[in-house]
Amino acid sequence: MSAGDSTSREWMGSGQLLHLRWDLDKTYLRTDFDSVKDLIKTYRQKAEDKVAVVGARALLQALLDPHERRRRRVTFISGSPTQMRGVLTRKLRLDGIEPDVFILKENLRNVLSGRFRSVRGQVGYKLGALLRTHVDAPELSELLFGDDAEQDAFIYSLYADILAGRVDAVQMASILAACKLYRSEVDEVMALHGRAFGSGDAVRRIFIHLEARSPIDRFSPYGARVVPIYNYLQAALVLSESGVMRARDIVAVLEAMSQAGYTPERLANSVQDLVRRGVLEVAGALKLAEELGAVESTRGRTVSTFIRRLRATVADLEHIRRARPEWNTEINYLTLFHEARFRRQKHRFLGIPLLD
Amino acid sequence: MTTIVIDTAAGREEGREALAAAAIASLELDVQLVVVGDEGVITPALQRLAHDAERVRVVHADTPARTIAAGLEITAREADAIFVSAGEPGLIIRESLRSLGRLGSVRRIALAAVYPTVRSHGPKRDPFGLLLDVGATIECTDDHLVAFAAMGAAYSAKISGIERPRVALLANGPSAARAPRRIQAAHDRLAAAALPFDFIGTVRGDQVTLGEADVVVTDGFSGDIVVRTLEGVALTAESLVQKAQERLQWRIAMGMLSEALSRLREFTDWENYGGAPLLGVTRPVIVTQTNSGSRAFVNAIRLGAKMERLGVVDAVEASAAVAAQVPPAEGASA
Repeated sequence: MSAGDSTSREWMGSGQLLHLRWDLDKTYLRTDFDSVKDLIKTYRQKAEDKVAVVGARALLQALLDPHERRRRRVTFISGSPTQMRGVLTRKLRLDGIEPDVFILKENLRNVLSGRFRSVRGQVGYKLGALLRTHVDAPELSELLFGDDAEQDAFIYSLYADILAGRVDAVQMASILAACKLYRSEVDEVMALHGRAFGSGDAVRRIFIHLEARSPIDRFSPYGARVVPIYNYLQAALVLSESGVMRARDIVAVLEAMSQAGYTPERLANSVQDLVRRGVLEVAGALKLAEELGAVESTRGRTVSTFIRRLRATVADLEHIRRARPEWNTEINYLTLFHEARFRRQKHRFLGIPLLD
Repeated sequence: MTTIVIDTAAGREEGREALAAAAIASLELDVQLVVVGDEGVITPALQRLAHDAERVRVVHADTPARTIAAGLEITAREADAIFVSAGEPGLIIRESLRSLGRLGSVRRIALAAVYPTVRSHGPKRDPFGLLLDVGATIECTDDHLVAFAAMGAAYSAKISGIERPRVALLANGPSAARAPRRIQAAHDRLAAAALPFDFIGTVRGDQVTLGEADVVVTDGFSGDIVVRTLEGVALTAESLVQKAQERLQWRIAMGMLSEALSRLREFTDWENYGGAPLLGVTRPVIVTQTNSGSRAFVNAIRLGAKMERLGVVDAVEASAAVAAQVPPAEGASA
């Protein structure tokens, strides 16, 4: 068992200080910005028309339960332009979510100053924002939520390893050089790196929502800290195993997903996927079924059907004794960056799908 | 929602192509997939593929025979399930009869193969006809042939949208006069009865691919030979094209014909036609070629989902019930 696993139950659980960091588009909000038309549509959308990814709102609401709220801090870091702050804040408020920090990108300023690489680039912007907000609140353990549409797994892992003292200034400089950041961005990130470097192994899990359904293997170089998820039930289950969420929180996520059209089969398949990947043990899944059965509100048909399906689906794999994924403490960020760039170039110039 | 049960112990690259097809189907089709096979192989392979895990359930089975048996048991248990396999056809037929059973009105089941034809069929201008049986029932009586005609017509009516499919018996001449007695008897009975399809008499082997008939009926022994001959001809033609690449002049000529050749390849490539539906069992079962690639599997999955959506099994049962009422031919014996 890895170091990360052995400590997970100790650090997590109610009562612990926890910093939740969320990306917005494709992680919390269902957003299409694959074309200019989509971008314009997204920009003009009203708060009432914006739709959260199924289960994201229920998960975040459970994490920000009023009893826990004073011990939880939530930061949104989005690549959306600052001009959308009003509508996005209103959308979050409609969902009952009040972020402590909400960072948006200065895209207009980047365009006007001719810094076009900064408009598309995510590494300098997100890494800077993560480090800046960490320096403000270094005592908290962190859970990060991103997606597979951009470079969230790369940026979040790099951030986590800076805090853990695994990426020193020399490595950092070469990574930033490969990312082709502007000089001022490099200076800012390097200064923040100096302040945050080695401040503690604070990042406990990085959840990557597989919006584009990227192959899971693509995230294996990042180790067990990065957990690719097909939906937020999977995130809730991992957090439940770590003691952050309770059975009734999972029921809330299940019900939200069920209302959005998820069948008990799809939900049970999601659990089986985690078992097959070694993220959740068979015994853990069966224990969960018991715990869910004990929650009063599971008398509803959907959840009880889910529990029955879950038992049957997991029973198919009772023989499995799969080792949990290892925590990787030696990630080669330069190689990963170049691989991702090569993949994007193949997609852009040769039309080869990003999904392999 | 339709559940596709897919056997990943068979097919090209030891079943990995079947798994690739399941991954594609999970992303592109509104279906649930049950992937049966060696879980220890499936999970790592699946992680390398873009797929939607919400739509995929894995059931472990450690040998090809157990995979087929387990897959068909699940197909029998789940509502709206269909089974797709590139396993050994004989085994699939036996296990289908054991787990699913025959439809009430069906005495013998038939494996129906889809083959390319010159003439297109139905309002959607499908470029293929249906040949049955191709191996499920080796020895047939005239009763069986009459039932196969009705079952094939029901399938063709649903899948190709043909109101009254044209059905013919495979024979060795323009009439049934020189055919074996069982074919003569079936011919007489089909010609005399009022049926929901048009019986057009007999077709010879060389007329099969012209597509005069939407459905060609024969026994499993002859049908297997016909369908394998057609595949063999396509493979031989492909080999000859490859051989022609050896000389420069021929290569140049082939280059000039490349578009026509690729259209011909497309036309004769059996992977485009999915697989062979097993007619007469209680759930849709699609048998694909043993060396099927992911394209063949995806097309088989699409075909199975279409069969389920259009209620082909019920139509086959109803049609077989009508065929069972066709009186015996006068003076003919089974």
